[in-house]
Amino acid sequence: MGGVRTDQERLTLSSRLMQAGMLAVVLGALVTGNHTWLPAAVISLLVTEIPAILKRNLKLVLPVELNFFIVLALFLHVIGGVYGFYDYISWWDHLTHAMSSSLVAALGFVIVVSIDWYVDSIYLPRPFVAFFVIMFTMSVGVLWELMEWLLDELTGSFLQYSLEDSMLDMLFDAFAGFVVAIATTHYVGKRTTREQFVKSFQMGQAKDKIKRIIVNRKKRKGNSS
Amino acid sequence: MSINQGLTKSVIPADRWRLLEAEASWIGGLVLFFATVYVTVKMDMPWVAFGIAALCLYILPILSTRSPLRALPWEMTLLLAAPLFLHISEGSRTLTENLSWWRDVTSIAFAFSLTTIGFLLTVELHMYTPVRMNRPFAVFFVVMFTLAVSGFWQVGQWIDQVLYGADLLPSNTVAMKNLLWTLVIGLLMGFVYDLYMRAMPQRRMERLGFIHLWEVYGRTRKG
Repeated sequence: MGGVRTDQERLTLSSRLMQAGMLAVVLGALVTGNHTWLPAAVISLLVTEIPAILKRNLKLVLPVELNFFIVLALFLHVIGGVYGFYDYISWWDHLTHAMSSSLVAALGFVIVVSIDWYVDSIYLPRPFVAFFVIMFTMSVGVLWELMEWLLDELTGSFLQYSLEDSMLDMLFDAFAGFVVAIATTHYVGKRTTREQFVKSFQMGQAKDKIKRIIVNRKKRKGNSS
Repeated sequence: MSINQGLTKSVIPADRWRLLEAEASWIGGLVLFFATVYVTVKMDMPWVAFGIAALCLYILPILSTRSPLRALPWEMTLLLAAPLFLHISEGSRTLTENLSWWRDVTSIAFAFSLTTIGFLLTVELHMYTPVRMNRPFAVFFVVMFTLAVSGFWQVGQWIDQVLYGADLLPSNTVAMKNLLWTLVIGLLMGFVYDLYMRAMPQRRMERLGFIHLWEVYGRTRKG
């Protein structure tokens, strides 16, 4: 009993542990009164709860691996901030950047594969999906850098250090995009696997649920007026 | 002019606009071609890649339909050729040094050509591959493509600068301004191309013969 765990259970458990770690950061910040990383930790904790909320309210299931990935990226960010890894370890910034952009790439893959599956007038073969993932990651990276720059210009904050910093960020975005594109087309690229993958989100049920919510709302409006 | 009229009468008596448009497009295409040859000789690698990509998109419909009249719309060819032309022209370089806003002009020209490449890519993907998009997705793809290629472009220029000491990106602000322009122009042109397709007269669309392929009619082979 109990001794043998499946990979999925192990991943769920480690996600929970990392969430506990972030909760500890929040509590620690409250106790010690050092509030620098409190907002980041709280937001990260809330974000890691989004898959659970989606599952409860819309019956939309994210794969355990993706959930683990989300939690890991945020955990590294928060821990790195609290323990000063960002300042002491020169490659920490690049590590978290590569993590978060591969997460974006994975989300891009989920989006494009779902679009391909659920929209009748769209057909996207395997190489195009890989191309899309790379482009999606890079464009989100560009938007991110632009946001940092505009914030710096408008509020006088100090998010972008130098040309080298922002260019290296984008280089790592591109790198992560390529890796995820290759990995996803290799493992989930085939049409049959893609079907299973898309169906595992149970997005059909989510769609039904959203439709029902909208219909109910219309009904209520009709009654009240 | 007399040669033109002769051709118009003999080859395509009904439509001399078609010939004029194709000629205008070929002029842009030739500018693109010779500019690409020039940057190839100078070993200016990012621009060689840009020129070859643009030339491929330009020449593919002509080759596949085997008709020199099936050239891209001339306004698109102009947009394609403009940044490369500005890049190699000595006058533009002097202007960059002397006018503070000229650099913005060149990056706007570059952004326009990137969206045009993105648009042509969606059209030609429909022509030669099983890829099928609908309009909202195509617009999204064009905007995303523009932003992403611009990002790759900045990184490429930066690497070029680090390795070979070319003075391409003097500061972070220059790189970020380039990206900002591509965002603005990309968003604008994504929707302008949508309107452009709706507004193009039916006769011209038939004359060009392939550009309507952006639109998806009916269902895909997914069934």
